[in-house]
Amino acid sequence: MAPAAETTFDRSRRRRRFWTRTVQRTVPYGLILPIVVVIGVILGYPLYWLVKLSTERYGLFELIRHAGVSVGLANYRSVLHDTVFWHTLLRTVVFTTANVVLTMVIGTLLALLLVRVSTVVRILLSSGLVLVWSMPVVVAVQIWYWMTNYQNGVVNYVLTKLGIGDFFQHDWYATTFSQLSLVTLLIVWGALPFVVITLYAGLAQVPHDLVEAAEVDGARPWRVFRDITLPILKPILLILTSLSIIWDFGVFTQPYLLIGQSKITTGNYLMSIYLFEEGYFKSDYGRGAAISLLMLLMVAVLSVVYVRKMVRIGEAQ
Amino acid sequence: MSARRRGRRARQAGWNVVGIAIFVVMVFPVFWMISTAFKPNEQIISVAPTWFSLHPTLQHFRDAIDKPYFWVDVKNSLIVVSVTVAISIVLAFLAAIALARYGFGGRKLFIVLVIGIQMLPQAGLIIPLYVVLADYHQVNTLTGLIVTYMTFVLPFCVWTLRGFLLGIPKELEEAAMVDGSTRVGVFMKILLPLMGPGLVATSVFAFITTWNEYIFARVLLNDQSKQTVTVWLSYFLGSSRHTDWGALMAASTLTAIPVVVFFLLVQRRIAFGLTAGAVRG
Amino acid sequence: MKRRSIVALCLVAVLAAAATTATTLGATKKATANSITVWLQIDAQSGWPGVVAAANQQFQSDHPGTTVNVQYQNWGDHLQKFDATLAGGGGPDVIEMGNTEMTKYMAAGAFAALDRSSFDNSSSWLKGLAASGAYGGKTYGVPYYAGSRVVTYRTDLFKKAGISKLPATTAQYVTDAKKLLAKNPKKGFSPVYTAGTDWYFAMSFVFDYGGGIATQISGKWKGLLNSPKSIAGLAAYKAFFLATSRASKTTDETHPNPYDVYAQGLAASMIGPSWFTCCVGKAYTPTTAQFVMPGHVKGQSIPGFLGGSDLAVPVTSSSKALAADWIKDFTSTSSEKGLQAKGNIPNATNLLGSSVNERAAARSWFVPTAKHWVDVENGNILRNMLAQILTNKLSIKQAASSASDNIASVLNQP
Repeated sequence: MAPAAETTFDRSRRRRRFWTRTVQRTVPYGLILPIVVVIGVILGYPLYWLVKLSTERYGLFELIRHAGVSVGLANYRSVLHDTVFWHTLLRTVVFTTANVVLTMVIGTLLALLLVRVSTVVRILLSSGLVLVWSMPVVVAVQIWYWMTNYQNGVVNYVLTKLGIGDFFQHDWYATTFSQLSLVTLLIVWGALPFVVITLYAGLAQVPHDLVEAAEVDGARPWRVFRDITLPILKPILLILTSLSIIWDFGVFTQPYLLIGQSKITTGNYLMSIYLFEEGYFKSDYGRGAAISLLMLLMVAVLSVVYVRKMVRIGEAQ
Repeated sequence: MSARRRGRRARQAGWNVVGIAIFVVMVFPVFWMISTAFKPNEQIISVAPTWFSLHPTLQHFRDAIDKPYFWVDVKNSLIVVSVTVAISIVLAFLAAIALARYGFGGRKLFIVLVIGIQMLPQAGLIIPLYVVLADYHQVNTLTGLIVTYMTFVLPFCVWTLRGFLLGIPKELEEAAMVDGSTRVGVFMKILLPLMGPGLVATSVFAFITTWNEYIFARVLLNDQSKQTVTVWLSYFLGSSRHTDWGALMAASTLTAIPVVVFFLLVQRRIAFGLTAGAVRG
Repeated sequence: MKRRSIVALCLVAVLAAAATTATTLGATKKATANSITVWLQIDAQSGWPGVVAAANQQFQSDHPGTTVNVQYQNWGDHLQKFDATLAGGGGPDVIEMGNTEMTKYMAAGAFAALDRSSFDNSSSWLKGLAASGAYGGKTYGVPYYAGSRVVTYRTDLFKKAGISKLPATTAQYVTDAKKLLAKNPKKGFSPVYTAGTDWYFAMSFVFDYGGGIATQISGKWKGLLNSPKSIAGLAAYKAFFLATSRASKTTDETHPNPYDVYAQGLAASMIGPSWFTCCVGKAYTPTTAQFVMPGHVKGQSIPGFLGGSDLAVPVTSSSKALAADWIKDFTSTSSEKGLQAKGNIPNATNLLGSSVNERAAARSWFVPTAKHWVDVENGNILRNMLAQILTNKLSIKQAASSASDNIASVLNQP
């Protein structure tokens, strides 16, 4: 830079720098503004409504008249004093853990497998995954029910033919454990495509030559995975894990339809079914709102570790 | 060297076998849906399963397509999905850049809000959302459904795209800046190509989620001429009378086609080697 | 190229958004008095679209310039949708409700009262169906159609087993079932296919033995399942099921559909709605016939559950008079005859024919008309009890007592 002689030039330059800096500072706000507006306009009022509703007696009678009766925290109290709620919570936490662990472990293994197979098999497998993904949940549930049904389920047929045992008219829906296991299989099966394809896209960011160099140096596959692949996948893994927790904790369609409304009892409730039964079927919307907000709180607690890590990763960079 | 190459090839053959085995297990339910769609009714319900029908019938597909409003509802679904995905991806990408590349006040709050929205049980929102959209006169319109879907898809897209952005080292962009590129130039030349796979994976997700969504479409749309294809599909199961399994399976197969086509169109972007080497090269 | 595709993408998005806004702007015009919206279940569209069209035509010739917008619903989620419209508006002017769904909504004041005498045949409406639409002495629901349960059976198998006369009592049916079983040693074969937790069928035994589910005594509900008569009925059901059906003891009557089992050749007869004949498979259609399920006393049929639908006018409707007029046209004598031709039971006794379906309706039972009855159904209290009884988890008495207490406490909620 030239010594301080050219004043006008300098000044205009400083002014320009000031302007660019101001613009730069507002840029991020400009970037997030559209989303904030969309979500604020659409979800703002429903959220307010939900919170207000949770402090009111709001049944069908009140719904028709658009006027609730304020009852303070009575809805929360009644939910927290309900033993069904606590049993359901415990069951849902165990269920969620099983689902998330299975989804993430199998998903990661499958994504790594995709890297290792030949192009033809890769295309085959990934289009298979998309086919699975493209099945609407409602339909997938029907197919699964059908494959496992008591009368002519193909699963029973195959298991019997394979000589694994006599599965003729085996009832997969007889016990809570067996019901929820089937639901888990269905959910993991349905979640794998998304997890695998996202992780696979993430693997595309892993530098090929680095892996190769490490392999040439004689690094074992596990070490290559841990030291090279994992750090790059970490943000995506964290996102997928936290999203899986959130989704599996609140899953409704699969358990409700696969187990079947006629077999849903307080003994096999999951959280969202509890919410539906208490809030919608009994038309106790105030209590339903309280359950919704409690669910929000609980899933936040469950996923807080991952979410915090997620936020931190961004800051470290 | 050749021994190593041979070892590698043998290993790949092993992985191929594993891959094909997994493919078979994963795809079986889909296969079952499609093969059922072609089976005559007697074979559908028989106790001993028919794997492939030797006398396939197209009757179920004809029944499905002839069901009122099929084409109209497919068109509605396509409109809803393409608009939702296009707008969501663009908006979410902008926000993801803000989150991954800028430090600003309120950033953390924004992240927490975005993830928090995901945690809301959607079941709890059915009635309040209906009330809001009714106030804006957006019930029974595709626009109402699109904005609803956007509120569910956007947080997810922001969240995932940010993750993909974090996987791209900042040094790459900085190097380009030093070389004299503008920010827009860096965005076009460096970020966008590297983000290709992430953008595609995210949009596939957004596409499939909105394409398959049922309950909000069901509650928000009234006229059969304005409904989406999942609602149309639900009419196969909604009666108190007999369920036509063959037609249901044929209809499900038909509704899955657009998803597969969309994926085929964009899948090349997820392909390997596209970006490999560019990072930390 | 990439830049261009991004720009194109944005353009498409904006254009599409503009297009949809443009099309929807026209559509959001509020429904005026010149149009009424009717919510019917999808059964009408797939089963009797002609009856709907005829009623609309009749209505439009009486009210020129008024259009009828029929929107079809699914049984599984129509109430959630209805609740949303009660809160936010935009709901129907006429809604079809299942007869067991009515009471809760009538009690909450969701429907407008109707003038019963203005509808065709209202003096001879089927008693059970009319009761489901009445609350506090007023009429809120107009009976639309009903359905009963009958036995669908294979004439060839009955003949082969040497059964020359149709059973006249439940006991005789069990004897016949044993004969059928002896002639058909196939694994999984049911002489009478009934699902274990089909509570509609099980309660028929309870009512046949003079028992009941619950009764109201000076404003308070009392469970009746643990009464000796009800327990006798449950015992009869258990014995009947164990002797005749190989169905899962824990499954309901739609998983699997009984007619699918029948079409597989795994049942000599089955219990269910009369339209089951539609779906027994080509091979068995010629040898399929129906009869009315006998009761335990000779000469009396077993009381069957009278399922059905009502039509009601929500209080949120802005054209209640027009809505009532449409219901008049849709439940007119000619309309009901049309429904009858499609295998339904018409809504009035003077229209009843002599089909098996209609004969079975002669002796029927209905659920307690209590505000919270729906909660009992959704809570699967009865199904749970039946599963406990059939799998011997609990004795009949234990299961019935606990279900009975449970039902009473649900029904007595404020």
